[in-house]
Formats: sequence, structure tokens, C-alpha cells
Amino acid sequence: MKSKTALIFNALLVIVFVFAFTLPASAGTTYKLGMSLAITGPTSDAGNPYAKGAEDWFKFVNETDYLGDGDIIDCPIRDDQYKNDTTKRFFEEFLDDGILIFLSYATGGNLALKRDFEEVQIPVIPASYHEGLIVDANYTFMPVATYSENAVSLAEYVVGKHEGTDTPKVAFFIHPSAFGRGPLEDTQKAVSLGLGIDIVEVVEHGTDLDNTAMLQRLESKGVQYVICHTVQTPVATMLTDAQRLGVTAATFGEKGKLTFLGAHYTGGSDLIALAGTATEGYIWADSYNLTSENNEGAKKQLELAERYGRDDKAANSHNYGAGILAAQIATEAIKETKKAGLKVNRENIYKTMQTLNFQSFAAAGPVTYSPTERIGVDVQNIYVAEGGVFKKIQSFESQYIQKVRADR
Amino acid sequence: MSYFFQIVVSGIVVGSIYALAALGLVLVYKSSRVANFAHGQIIAAGAFITFFLTVRLGVPIFFSFLASMLITFFLAMSVERIFLRRLIGEPIISVIMVTIGLASIFDGLIYLTPFGSENFSFPTFLPTESIVVGGVSISWTQLVGVIITFVLIGCFSWFFKKSTVGISMRAVSDDQFGAMSVGISVPRVFALAWATAGLSAAAAGCIIGNITGLNFETLHAFGIVVFPVVILGGLDSILGAVVAGIIMGLIQQFASGYLDGNFGLNGTGDVMPYIILLIILLFKPHGLFGIHEIERV
Repeated sequence: MKSKTALIFNALLVIVFVFAFTLPASAGTTYKLGMSLAITGPTSDAGNPYAKGAEDWFKFVNETDYLGDGDIIDCPIRDDQYKNDTTKRFFEEFLDDGILIFLSYATGGNLALKRDFEEVQIPVIPASYHEGLIVDANYTFMPVATYSENAVSLAEYVVGKHEGTDTPKVAFFIHPSAFGRGPLEDTQKAVSLGLGIDIVEVVEHGTDLDNTAMLQRLESKGVQYVICHTVQTPVATMLTDAQRLGVTAATFGEKGKLTFLGAHYTGGSDLIALAGTATEGYIWADSYNLTSENNEGAKKQLELAERYGRDDKAANSHNYGAGILAAQIATEAIKETKKAGLKVNRENIYKTMQTLNFQSFAAAGPVTYSPTERIGVDVQNIYVAEGGVFKKIQSFESQYIQKVRADR
Repeated sequence: MSYFFQIVVSGIVVGSIYALAALGLVLVYKSSRVANFAHGQIIAAGAFITFFLTVRLGVPIFFSFLASMLITFFLAMSVERIFLRRLIGEPIISVIMVTIGLASIFDGLIYLTPFGSENFSFPTFLPTESIVVGGVSISWTQLVGVIITFVLIGCFSWFFKKSTVGISMRAVSDDQFGAMSVGISVPRVFALAWATAGLSAAAAGCIIGNITGLNFETLHAFGIVVFPVVILGGLDSILGAVVAGIIMGLIQQFASGYLDGNFGLNGTGDVMPYIILLIILLFKPHGLFGIHEIERV
């Protein structure tokens, strides 16, 4: 009898121990999100640090009980290798898992799933800032200013800084895809609405080893400014060729030379890594706060990267900051929904996101959504490459992009 | 006029780099009649090995360059030994499918390293100023690239024409059974063909990487970009690869220089080489220098 009691006692003890060690450390709620992006494959030079930024932020949230009550975020990050069909499959799997917000990536994948997002009514935070993603769409919440906003802003910046009475002659150097063409079309609309530039030529690049012919042609046509909207590698090759040919402007708008400018994915530390000194003088529009600014925001980004053992390259990448911001938007949406005393589900998160307003250390300005506004950070910084880093010249908000949007 | 000559120089520069990148495809096809779809990955591997040795291990770039050629020589030889040797005598399509599979495996392996998703560049080791003659400019990177290309192509041409091993490789290319009957080891020739292809791919990777920067997607794309060069020149002709490479480079630059931006045209630099390729193939289906095989049935 005694041994039977001891047996039962021991069994209970074992059960208690097993439960004690198998129960999650957090007794709170787990909020499920899903992220699909190119960690490998095309554009993974951007996607990889982006994923690291998001992953680190979610780890930080969970470790510091940022949401309170022991609540945590579970956000699996999956590598779609820039393949739209894989993104779609992941999205469907995430839906089956009951995610609250989808963190997506490429322009193509988002355009392909745009209708699905509306049908399923799921808030989406993309890494693509293609203007078309928020046209006739309610559920896509753009983290920062769109590529179109970048391009139009750069054109406005050119108009503002151009010396002389003539109309500045501009060429566009773009990616041969919807990603590249969208901002061009919006800039052309801005021109038709009165923006004072002359778009002399549009170059859709290929896999070029030498841009001599193109650069000399642009010069012969009197082009002074080249606005780029593509990824870093072709821009790097072009800048290197321009340096070799001696056609790069030494100062902004130098007559007879070319001043190069570019949108979000054309610039950053990766461009400097690829093109070296040829990057000097490159003007870049971006809504992220760079670590080279050495301000409070930059320090916080570097601290986060250090906490999770990231190398310098990832820590200083603006794409790492972009990943952090996307994760922060999702986190704040959950936090604010909780704070409002609402049940944390897709419907209420969607409602919360429409009035979400907070300051992120990774961004150039505050995140401000409204029921009619789907762009988080409207402010852009205009940076210039100088001494091997990008330095802020000024903040910028486009006037013409509002006119373009109103004209749609 | 200097504009015209600048385009000629740029065309020759681009074309000769195409020729070097195409050489590996020709070498493999010449001996084994196989189109190697993993060639771009070997080009990328060569560039990254050089970068790793130079930047991470501090080896002088010249020695890194030679070492990477040596490493890819043995890498490609191993690939042939492990995966392709047992396919000798099997239908060519099976072997081609294996090379496609190999491309995926190489992709996966490179994606496991930082080289799969980050951008890098070689340290500057050549003067950054251009050489300008009569208003025509060429960078040291391009000049050195062209010189290395022609030296390597010269070496390969000599190797195939004069050396015993090279002649054996040509014999195998002409007639495997005939070559075997005179005592040539066909498997050994296949291994050597793959190895030399690996060597030339590494050289091409380093030169391309020095021009475009080191980005895996950009580098391995050249394995496909040079296919039209190989087809135009003739799949089994080294001379064909050189001539076709330069033709392609010139067409690309002239189209970009004179057609793009005029007559409402754009992107002709990418399209024109293919249009010319199709026209030439209408008249010479085996390429400019390819062997026209006639079989008696």
C-alpha cells in the first residue's frame, strides 16, 4: 500500500515536472503573423538584411515583453526566392495558420496577390513601395513613401536646385519591369501637370557590362540629370563607367556633365560597396534613417543589431532598418488594438492601422496612417554620397505626387 | 568620329569578355556534346573564391586569381567525376538535365554563404584613371580584362592545336569510338574538358566581377547571357566563340549608341544581338564556325 502511494506520488511529481518544463515561458497570447520574402535568389541582397531586421525586432518584442501580459508574436519568415507562385503558396499556408498581418515583399508578388488581400481582408505590409499596390486597395499599408514619390521628389529637387533659366534635361534609367516603369509614368504625369523638367530619354537597362554608348548618347542630347529607379548593380556599373569617361558632375548640376540620382533600392551602403568612389556625389531619396547619420535612431538600430549578433554590413544596411520598420508597424498595430480594449483579430487590427501613428527609430519621420492615407512615412531624406557614406542633405516631401494622385 | 571609335572599343571589350565566358561552354560541348547549364554558377564561384582569398585571407589578388582558376579547375573536374562520368554513353538530354540539376545544387550551396545574398567588390588594384587615346577611353579594368581574355584564348587555341592532350580532346569530339579505338581515354578527356572549362569560367567571373561588382545573381546570369554567343559562333568552335563574342559586343554597343533613344526605340542593345543571331542562323544553322555534320543513313 505504501509503495502504491509512493508510486502515485512519484507519478504526480513527474507530471508536474513535465508540465512545468513543457509549458511555454509566456502565459500570454501568441499573435501569429507571416512573412514571405527573398532571403535567397534575385534581390536577396535587399531581402536578406530586411528579414534580419524583422526577425530581430520580433525577438526583441518577445524578450522584453513589449506587448505586455506576456503576449508574444510568432512570425515565421519564409524564403520565397522572389518567385510569385511560392509567395502565393506561403500566403495561403499562412492564412490556414490564421495570421493577423501578412508581411510581403516584391512588387510582382504583391500585384499578383492584390485582389486576394482585398478578398480575404488581411492587412499587408509590403517591402515593395510600388505606388500601384495602394491604388484601389484598402488592405495594403505602405511603410514609407512610394517609389513614385521618390522619383517625383528627385525631379522636384532637380527643379529646385538647377541653375540657369533652361528646363533641366533629365533621363530615366529604369528596371525593365512594372517595378521600374511605375515611377516613370507618375513622373511623366507630374510633368504633364506642370513639373518643370524635360524627360529626354528613358533607358531600360539590361545586363550591361559597358554603358559607354548610353552615357555618351545622353551627354550628346544635353542630359544633365539621370534619375535611376532599379537595383544597385546596374547603377553601380553605370556610375563606374561614368567615372571612367569623366562625365560625372563634380558638383550638383554641373553643366556638360551628368548628375546621378536614385530612388530607394538604388542606393545605400551596398551601392558604395559595389561602385566605390564612383558613387561620390550620387543623390539618393529614401525614407529611412541611416546609421551614418549617427543620431539616436541610428544608435538604437545598431544596438538591436549588436544584441542579436549581426555583422556590420547587416547592421548598417537601410534594408535592415526597413525590416525593423515593417515589424514595428505590425507590432504597434497589435499593441494599439490591445490598448483600445478590442479583440486582436484581423478586422480590429485593420481598424487600428487606419489611425496608427508612432515614431520609429528606423525611419526618417513618423508613421502616420489615416482612413484615406495608406503611406506610413511620408517624409523622405535626400542623401548625398560623400566620403564613402551617404549623408543627409535635407528632408523632403513631394508636392507634385499629391497632384498626380488627385489626378488619378 | 571619336564617338564611333569609342563604341567600337566598348564593343570589343564587352565582346571579348563574352568570348571568355562562352569559352567554357564551348570546351565542354566540344568534347562531350553537352550544353552545361551550370556554367554561370561556376563563373560566380570563381569570382567569389578570388574575393574570399583576397579580402578574407589577404592573399595578393594576382595569386588569388590564379588560385581560384586552379580551384575551379579541380572543382569542375570533380563534378565531372562524381556526377557526369557515369552518364557517358547515356542520351545527351539526360546529361543536360543533370547540368540543370547541378545548377540548382550550386545555387543552393552558394545561398548558404553570404555570397548568395550580399554585394561585394574587389579591392582596387588597378589605376582608377582611364587610358584616353584620341578621345577614346578605356579603363584599366577593361584593358586588363581584354588582355587576360586574349592570352587565355591564345593558350587554349595552342593547347587544342599543338598539345597531345588537346589533340586527343579534338579526336574525342570528332568521334568517340574512333578515339577510343586508338587508345584515347574518353573519360579522362571529358574530365579535362570540364576542368579547363572551370578554369576559364573562373577567369571570366573575376573579370566580370571586377566590372559589375560581385553579386551572385548578376554573375551567374552570364552563363545564360553568353548562350547566343556560343550558338552564333558554333557550339564547338573556340574561334567561333571569339568572333561571335566580339560581333555580339559590337552589335550591342552600336544598337545602344545609335538606335536607342532615337526613332522611339529603346532597349535595342539587348534585342538586336538576338535578331542578328536569328538572321545568321537562317543561313548558317550550325553557327558561323560550327561543324556541319552530315550523317550517312
